[in-house]
Parts: sequence; C-alpha cells; structure tokens
Amino acid sequence: MAPLSDSTFYVLLVLGEGPAHGYAISKAVEAQSGGRLAPTTGALYQLLQRLVAAGLIAPADAPAGTDPRRKYFALTALGRKAAAAEAQRLEGLVRTARKRKLYPQGA
Amino acid sequence: MRIYRWLLRYAAPQLDREYGDAMEDALDARLADARALGAIAYTRTWVREVAALAGVAISDRVDPVARERRRRRRAHSRGKATLMGTLIQDVRHAARRLAHSPAFTSASILTLALAVGANTAIFAVVERIVINPLPYPDSDRLFELDHGSAALRMTAGMGTTQGLYYHYQERARAIESMALYRTSDQTLTGDGNPERIRVTRATPSLSTVMRVPPAVGRWFSEDEGRPGAADVAVLSHALWTRRYGRDPNVVGQSITLGGRPLEVIGVMPPAFSFPEPRVDVWAPSQLSRATGFGLWEHAGVARLREGWSYDAGRSELQALIPGVVQAFPDDPLAAGNVQSTQLIFAGRLLKDATLGAVSRALWILLGSVGIVLLVACANVANLFLVRAEVRQREVAIRRTLGAGGAALGRYFLSESVVLSTAGGALGLVLAWGGLRLLVRLGPTTLPRLHEVHLDAVGVAYGALLSLAAAILFGTIPLWRSRALTPSLHEQGRASTTARPRHRARHLLLGAQVALALVLLVASGLMLRSFHNLRAVDPGFDEASALTFSIGLPDNKYSTLDGAVTAHQALIDRLSALPGVRAVSGTTCLPLSGGCTGNTVRVEGVVYPEGEIPPLAMFRAVTGGYFETMGVRVLRGRSITRDDVDRQAPVAVISDALAKRAFPNEDPIGRRMASNQPPRPGLETRFTWLEVVGVVANTPVRAVNEPRPMPYLYTPLSIARGPDVPMSAMIAPSASVLSFVLRSNVPPLDLVPAARQAVYAFDEDLALAQIITLEEMLNRASAQMAFTMVLLVIAAVVALVLGVIGISGVMFYIVSQRTSEIGVRLALGAEPRLVAGHILWQGGLVAIGGIVVGLCGAFASSGLIGAVLYGVSPRDPVVFGGTALLLLVVALLACWLPARRAARLSPLVALRTE
Repeated sequence: MAPLSDSTFYVLLVLGEGPAHGYAISKAVEAQSGGRLAPTTGALYQLLQRLVAAGLIAPADAPAGTDPRRKYFALTALGRKAAAAEAQRLEGLVRTARKRKLYPQGA
Repeated sequence: MRIYRWLLRYAAPQLDREYGDAMEDALDARLADARALGAIAYTRTWVREVAALAGVAISDRVDPVARERRRRRRAHSRGKATLMGTLIQDVRHAARRLAHSPAFTSASILTLALAVGANTAIFAVVERIVINPLPYPDSDRLFELDHGSAALRMTAGMGTTQGLYYHYQERARAIESMALYRTSDQTLTGDGNPERIRVTRATPSLSTVMRVPPAVGRWFSEDEGRPGAADVAVLSHALWTRRYGRDPNVVGQSITLGGRPLEVIGVMPPAFSFPEPRVDVWAPSQLSRATGFGLWEHAGVARLREGWSYDAGRSELQALIPGVVQAFPDDPLAAGNVQSTQLIFAGRLLKDATLGAVSRALWILLGSVGIVLLVACANVANLFLVRAEVRQREVAIRRTLGAGGAALGRYFLSESVVLSTAGGALGLVLAWGGLRLLVRLGPTTLPRLHEVHLDAVGVAYGALLSLAAAILFGTIPLWRSRALTPSLHEQGRASTTARPRHRARHLLLGAQVALALVLLVASGLMLRSFHNLRAVDPGFDEASALTFSIGLPDNKYSTLDGAVTAHQALIDRLSALPGVRAVSGTTCLPLSGGCTGNTVRVEGVVYPEGEIPPLAMFRAVTGGYFETMGVRVLRGRSITRDDVDRQAPVAVISDALAKRAFPNEDPIGRRMASNQPPRPGLETRFTWLEVVGVVANTPVRAVNEPRPMPYLYTPLSIARGPDVPMSAMIAPSASVLSFVLRSNVPPLDLVPAARQAVYAFDEDLALAQIITLEEMLNRASAQMAFTMVLLVIAAVVALVLGVIGISGVMFYIVSQRTSEIGVRLALGAEPRLVAGHILWQGGLVAIGGIVVGLCGAFASSGLIGAVLYGVSPRDPVVFGGTALLLLVVALLACWLPARRAARLSPLVALRTE
C-alpha cells in the first residue's frame, strides 16, 4: 500500500476517535499537527470527498438535533486498516532511524 | 457566503453538489470563530478560503479519479447537444485553453480586474452622491430659497427674509410647501457634561417640505411656531443615541439649551440631517407676519408643486419679488431691500446646491476611469491579437475543415467571456475594497459619502462593463482572423510578418498612448491647481495654532459688559497655560462663512439715490487678534486690549474694504458706520467708528475666492450684547467667541488643559469646533485633493497599462522577427542600427499616439476647466511636459525589446523556428 499523504493520515487519526463533522475534523487536524496543517474548508472537503471515493471513510449519521446541513464522517474498516498500515510504516522508519543513531531513544 | 457557493460551483461542481451545504456550515463556523479574533483575522480567513478555491479547482481537474468520473458523465450526456450544452462546452473548452497559457490569462484578468474595479468603485460613488444625493422622498423637487442682488454684485448667498417667505407663501403657485430655518451653536446643559451643539430653528413646515416624519414622538405643530408658544425640541438620532442612550422616555422631558428649557417632543430618523449632518436639535422658529419684512437672517427650502418645472417656478418667484413692496406697505425695509438692491431670486435645486462643484469632479473621474477601461480593453485586445497570430494555423485549419464564421466567433468570444467574467469578478472584489478606502479617505464635505457601498446597482454596472469589454476585445481578433485565413498555405517558415499584420496592433498601441496622455494631462492640471491652491496666502499664519469656540448662555451673561468680561477672563486663564504663547478671540474666524455683514457708511460721503453703499463682513475681536492670528497689518495699527477695555469707537478694515470704500485715499483717521435699518418716524443714527488700521484680506469660505470679501473689525466691547436684538443693531453678537491659541507645543496637546481652564471658570461652558488652523486650511482644499488623488491614480494606472502594452507588443514583434533579425545580423548589420530600428518603430507609434492624445486633451480641456484653479486648462507646461514624459516612458518601454534584438546571436536567431 502506498504511503498516505500527511493530511490524509491526520484525518484518519482524527476519525479514529469517532465520527466527526467537517469543521471539527479541520480543527482537530490543526491541533494535532501543532498548527502545521490548517486545511481550508475547500481543501478539506475535497480530501474528504476523495477519501469517501477511495472507501477509507464513509458518511455517518449525525447525532440528533444538529444542523441538518452538517455532514458526519466515520472511519471504514478499510480506513482503519490503512491508518494502521501507515502507523506501522512510520514505526518502521523510526526504528531504522534509531538504529542509525539519527533519533536517540527517549528523545 | 453566496459568493463562496457561487465560486465553489465553478471551481468544483461535483464537490459543490455533494458537500456544498456541509461546507457552507463548516465555513460559517470557521468565520464565526475568526470574527471573535477581530476584523483582520476575519478578513484573512475569508480571503484564504476564497483563494484556496483556485487550488481546489486545479486539483479537481488534475485528480485522475475526478477527471475520469467527469469524462464518463460527459460521454453519457453526449448526444443531447442543446444550445445551452454547446455554450457550456464552448466555455469549458475556452477555460481549458486559457489554463494552458497562464501568463496571457493572468495578465488579461488582472488588467480587466483593475479597470472594472476602478470603474465600478467610481460609479458607485457617482451613483450615490451625484445621481441620488439627498435622502428625502422626491428630492428632485426640493430647491433652496436664496436671493442675490444685482446692485451689490452678489449673484447668490443672501438667503431670505420672513417677508419674502410670507409673500411667496401667499402668492406662489409653483410652491407646494416651504420652510425657513437658521442654524446656530448653543450649549446643552444638564444630564452630564455641557456640550456645544448645532441647533436649527425652523418653521413647523420643515418636516412637511422634506417629507420626513420623526422616528419617535412628533414634529412641532403650527401653534408651536407662533411667537410666545412654549419652546419645544426635536432631537437628532445621533444626539438621542449619544446622550440619552436611545431612551424613548426622553420624549416629554425637558432639556436646557443656552440656559432656556425646551420640552423634547420627538426624535428624527438617523438619515435625516437637514440642513447639515452636524445638526443635533430642531426647534421652532417663532415668526409672525406682523413683524414685517425682516432681515436676511434665514435660509429657506421649498418643494416644487407637482407638474411645475423648476425653471417655471423660478420665473414665477422672480416675477413676484417686486410685489413684496406692496405686501409690506408700512415697512421701509421692504422697499429698500427690494428696489435699490435689484433683488434677484437665486435659488438652486437643493441637489445642485448640496453638490456644488463635486458633481463635475466626479463626472470627470467617471470619464477618466472609463478611459482606463478603454486602455485595458486595448491592451487585452492586443494580447488577443498576439495569441490569434500565434494560432493562425490552428484557425486556418479549422476554417479549412469547415468551421463557419459563427463557430470561429464562438471560439474567440468564449475565451473573452471567460476572461471578462473572471476579470469582472476580481474587479468587483477590488471595487469593494477600494470603496471602503475611498469612504475612509474622502473629504467630509462630500454629502452621503459615508453611505457609499457596493450595492446591486454597482454590481450590475460592473457586470455590464465586463460584458461590454468581452464583446469589444473578443470581436477584434475575429475581425483579424478573416484576414488570417489564407495563411494556411504559407509555409511554417514565414514570420517576417508582413506590415499590414502589425497595423491593428499599432493602432491599438497608439490609442493607448493617446488615452493615457489625456489622463496624464488632466492629472497634471489638477496637480498644478492643487499646488496653486496650497500656495495661496490665506492672509493668516496657520502653523501651530488651536481654535475653538465658546458660547455664553444668555441667561447667565445677559449684558454686553458681562459677556466681554467673561471672555477676557477666559483669555487670561488660557494665556496662563504652559505652551501657550498668545491668546485672542474673534466672533468669526476666516474660512467659516460670512457670519454678520451689512452695508457701511463713510462719513462725509453721500451715496447717490439708487447706489448701494459698500458691503462689509463684521468681526468683533479682542486685543492682539491680528498678532495672534498672524494677519499682517498693512497700515496704521491693530486693535489692542486697551481699545477693548475703553470701548474705543475704532475700526480696522481689510485691504479689500479700504480699496472699495476709499479708492485712492488714505482711510486712516476717516470714520465709518454700520448702516442702520430705517425705522418709520425715527431718524437714523449712526455709531461712527474711526479707522485706525488696514490689514491683509482673509478668505470667507474658500482660499480661492475670486474677489476677497471686505472686512470690518471692531473691538469686542462695542459688539452687540445678548440683550440687544439684531433688528436694533446690525453687528456681531458678543456671546459666542472663537478663541485662537498660538502655541509652542503641538496645538491639539493643549485641548485637555484648555478644557480644564474653561471648566474651572464656569462648569456650564463647553468647547466647540476644536480644530487647528492648519486642519481648517486643509479642509478648505480637501475636495480638490480628493479629486486630484483619484485622477492621479487613474492616470498612473493608464500609464502602467500603456507601458505594459507597448513593451509586451514590442517584445512580441522582436520575437516574431527573430529570424529576420538573425539574417540581418549575419549579413553584417550593426546591432546598434537593428536596435535603433526597433526603437524607431515603437517611437513612431508613441509619437502618433501623443499627437492624437494632445488633440484629444486640447479638445476636452473645457470639461475640466471648472475644477481647476490658477492654471489654464490648456497650460502649455503641463501639455508639453506630459507629452515629453510619455515619449520617454514609451521609448524606455521599447528599449528593452530593442536591446534584446541587438544582442541576438545570429546563429541562435537563425536556428529559431
């Protein structure tokens, strides 16, 4: 499986906590990336659209009482697998880096 | 939000269909968060979101998944080629073609956006201020009641009297309703700090004339407009908000104005600001026909009856004027004022009166941004021509394959439509931003400027312009493409580009130069006018001086002595403040209007029957006024504190009055007096004043007054006391004094200390019209500065567009002729001569444009003449200088391409194909 893009991985991570709507995802991505990623509404929804098309996430039911316009998204089984694979890949990279003393233990 | 959705629909239609609503919701939330952080964060978020759509659009088209999906959908819907479908397809193809040449596309879009933006912004200003300047229903029928005098050589500005008001009211059929008013400053006390506010005393008919009822409560009744009725007040919305927190219960309460109680009966709506924006209270003028013809102390406004033209109404009123003598047979003032002065009706439509010269300036601006649009269109058309030539083979193939004129037209028009739509949309954004800036920077004297914003009419105008531009520059290459058709049989290696092919481009370039020159000349003339205006000696020294006015309430300072003593005490206290070098006072500052004026008598001079004695504006001053203001004393001496203390019957006159009243004579030692209104049965007695000095002229309203007004200055102690009515003595009132503080420190720093000093003297007094003399002078030229800045911006934009156009086309010509130049160079041509040839070619076009432009500027000089000052609309320096500047700039624009041609290596040049 090809490596996931940075923002894709963050979206999957955010949805790992449970279904969320667009703006909440956007804010969580910004917070978790330490402000490095701050997707605009347009870019975020374009990404979400592609992830839905790729089957990594799927539209989910909104909790009762929210704005009917608001769309919720949840991780699919495939998405969960993709996120796990990506994490594994990154872990592998970290392990290699440690082995070569590029990233000392505990840092 | 609607704009966002609209843009989204075009950027990524699929995304919009699927998630548009959810995105709108998310954007709402995001903007709400950003708004909490302030206006800058809000704007930044908004801009970032909209700009990101461009990225979304590109990525949507690049993304293989999305593209595949679109392709499939199109294949599916093929076959139902409706007209709409073809159009959409044309536009889509055009957009794709344009996306392939980003330099051309972005240059065209930016050029158009600049032009459309400038046009839309100025149009919005013109639409609001010129076409619809007054926020009253049917405001086209409102006109001012004003008079002039042929004998006094005053074309207008005398105002009106109550006698004329009653006379017109009884006889004029052209008038539906009319009102008199006059405005003064008074001190509002009680409930908080004392405040100097502007009060308009008007006849009860004012609300009917304007057709604006109060927002809260009621307007005053006819009975309240009669002498002896209880005094009432209607508040402005601003005062109601500022001082009473919009409390509706203020109606029925009493306020204290100038020491007298008035009952509040209503509040006007926010938009009502007649006769000027600063008015805070309207109260009834208590007039009665029984008091006779009256003095010229009122202004008037009237509403034309339905079915009457303004000219017909004006003629009727003029014809009624002589009859006023019979209408007031017992009042000698009527006969004196009407017959000997040769009274003329001089009212103007309120719209024209409010706008003055502004409307002319704004029309000129609209014209000049129109020129900028034409230059922009010429530029884009040129770019189009270049593209058309590059693709001549493609077009030729299309023709050969059977594409008709209509199909080719669609081919080019669809590109221009896409470009102008994008340019127009960006232009509207620019216009929106530009307008906010304009409103912030514009002079406060422009009526309704603060109301200007981009509304539906403005957007429609911008859209219309974009469409017109699209048609204009879209059809030019089409017309060229006819000529291009046979070029298919030309072999690939042609490109010595025949002369006629350049002709269209040269014409467009020449037109650009000509248009830019017209604008540059106009802005050059404005620059010189402004420079002249600022160089005019105002007659006083504006540097480092603060002024403010203080009015004494009549009930507390009820006599002349009391008022003068209080003012002197205030001067003493203000003089003691640190940083203050000198303090003095006058009843009326320069540039603040006529205040009080009257005809004057010179002792020993008998004016023949029918001749009007000289007219003068009166100012009563305290000691050292001329020294403090920096007004030069030309002869004799100035008015001293001693004159004020002794109530010396002396006067200082301005140069203009000296020349008018004492032609070729020495006025020092002669005696003058204010003319007294004749009274039946009483012999007129004059209070003679000895002329002790002559001072420089100072302006009444504007620094560029064609003829300086004559002034007569007296010591404050012989002015009119609060207990003497104007009808008994025509002289300035001593109650309200404008103080002048000459300082060693920045003048505005003195305000807190001055306020403290005045408060310590009497806590019911308030400072009003706090302004530095410098600012006062700046305001007098603010309108010209505004026009000038906008014109200069328009001219610079035109110049820049012109330079880009010339330079771009010359570069293109050089690149087209690369192989020809290569051959020449290989055959031994001097690089210098090659460069000179290119330069000469460009220069010829520029000179042609300059000649045409000079003719155009010369022909249109009459239009701008009215807003100029001290410079001929055909000023040779401006014309010559501008032409030279433009020639140099044009040659510079050609120089770069010429240098590139000269530096071509023959080998490289020949290889280029």
